[in-house]
Amino acid sequence: MSGFTTSNVYRIIVTGSLLALLGACSATTTIDEYRPSGEPIELNADERVVVLGRRDAGHYETDREFIDCVAKQMKGADIGILPEAQFIDSIYPWFEPRTAPKGLPRLKKLMRTPSIKTVVDNQSVRYLVWLDGSTETLDKGGSISCAIGPGGGGCFGFAQWNKLSVYEAIVWDLQDLQEMGRLRVDSEGTSYLIGAVAPIPLLTPVKSDACSSLGKQLKTFFSAS
Amino acid sequence: MSYKKTYKESCKNISKISLALIVMVILGGCSSSASVQVDRTFPKVLGEPKSVTASIVFLEDFSTFVAQPNENTVIDIGTAQVEVLQNAFAGLFNDVEFVTSRDQITNTKGLVITPSVREVQVSTPSDNYLNVFEVWIKYNLEIQSVDGDPIDSWFMPAYGKTPDTFMYSKPKAIEEAAVIALRDAGAKLMLDFYRIPAIYGWMMERQILEGSQ
Repeated sequence: MSGFTTSNVYRIIVTGSLLALLGACSATTTIDEYRPSGEPIELNADERVVVLGRRDAGHYETDREFIDCVAKQMKGADIGILPEAQFIDSIYPWFEPRTAPKGLPRLKKLMRTPSIKTVVDNQSVRYLVWLDGSTETLDKGGSISCAIGPGGGGCFGFAQWNKLSVYEAIVWDLQDLQEMGRLRVDSEGTSYLIGAVAPIPLLTPVKSDACSSLGKQLKTFFSAS
Repeated sequence: MSYKKTYKESCKNISKISLALIVMVILGGCSSSASVQVDRTFPKVLGEPKSVTASIVFLEDFSTFVAQPNENTVIDIGTAQVEVLQNAFAGLFNDVEFVTSRDQITNTKGLVITPSVREVQVSTPSDNYLNVFEVWIKYNLEIQSVDGDPIDSWFMPAYGKTPDTFMYSKPKAIEEAAVIALRDAGAKLMLDFYRIPAIYGWMMERQILEGSQ
């Protein structure tokens, strides 16, 4: 009579639970920013930016996928981006993990070398963005098991894991040889895998969230003229 | 009737072949052996060569070097390491010649450098419990004057690792790590060669001699 049959109640509960889980599948992202001036950096039409990853740490390496993702985000804002591999090859071996400048004094020394300065100038690279960080899985919980037999198969159980992305971006001016600012992004989220005959993944895009947040924020550093 | 039987048999055969193929692919994927040929081009170095004359001797066993760091892994780095070191030495010396034996040297002054590989080591995720493949190449540079007087025997280690193991087969990952190690060898040579005390001393001595003449 009222329309609230048992099957309807189940449907509502299942839908509600799924919506709640999907809602939980979002990353929490925090960005800290430091720059000496609030004004965006003016980029001329012929000036370009190169986004590089730090690869000197022993236990992690800033992955190329993340660097490409941030570079793509910035490219969307009409900022001229030079591909990382092209820049590193053109200046080989001075930006290899062993030789890349870790601070401004070393950068200043490198830029005093005429051949290096010429290559940088010829490629119109004005700003360099160093990215350093990684994405790690922190806690894992639950269990899921899958089985297959003559009558069919399926997965049962529930698993969850937390991921944390921490990346820092430092912007260097290759002309004035000074730091223009730095950004830090922390993104955290939980992903779930539900085994209800078929495995249902509910993944939180922690790394892509960190990338888009960092890319968007970096865009505000520059204004293309 | 006979058509049905033939059809059934051929279906069975196709199933067997498919199953065998799947098993082979899976076993291939789990294979622990890797035969790697490093086949890449390396960038030219950006250097400011010093006015030093040098003859680089790439002996045949160096230019055709195939490393076997363990019984399951073979890495052919001969051609690649010659290319990397040629580029690096060209960035270090103003006047450089590359020869395959000492008796081919035409320079009458300067350094004679004979590189060799002491050891190659590989570490996989099952060895290091990290999510990376690593390669170490340990070089030795025998440095002499053109008259045959020993100047130094310089140990030069190079290291490379993959960012992670995601989407890499074992041979591909080892090749990637070897390429990074070879690039590191070029970087190490460019960065440290003129910091070798014996080379520094040899250069100072030469400048003093030139100055006195």
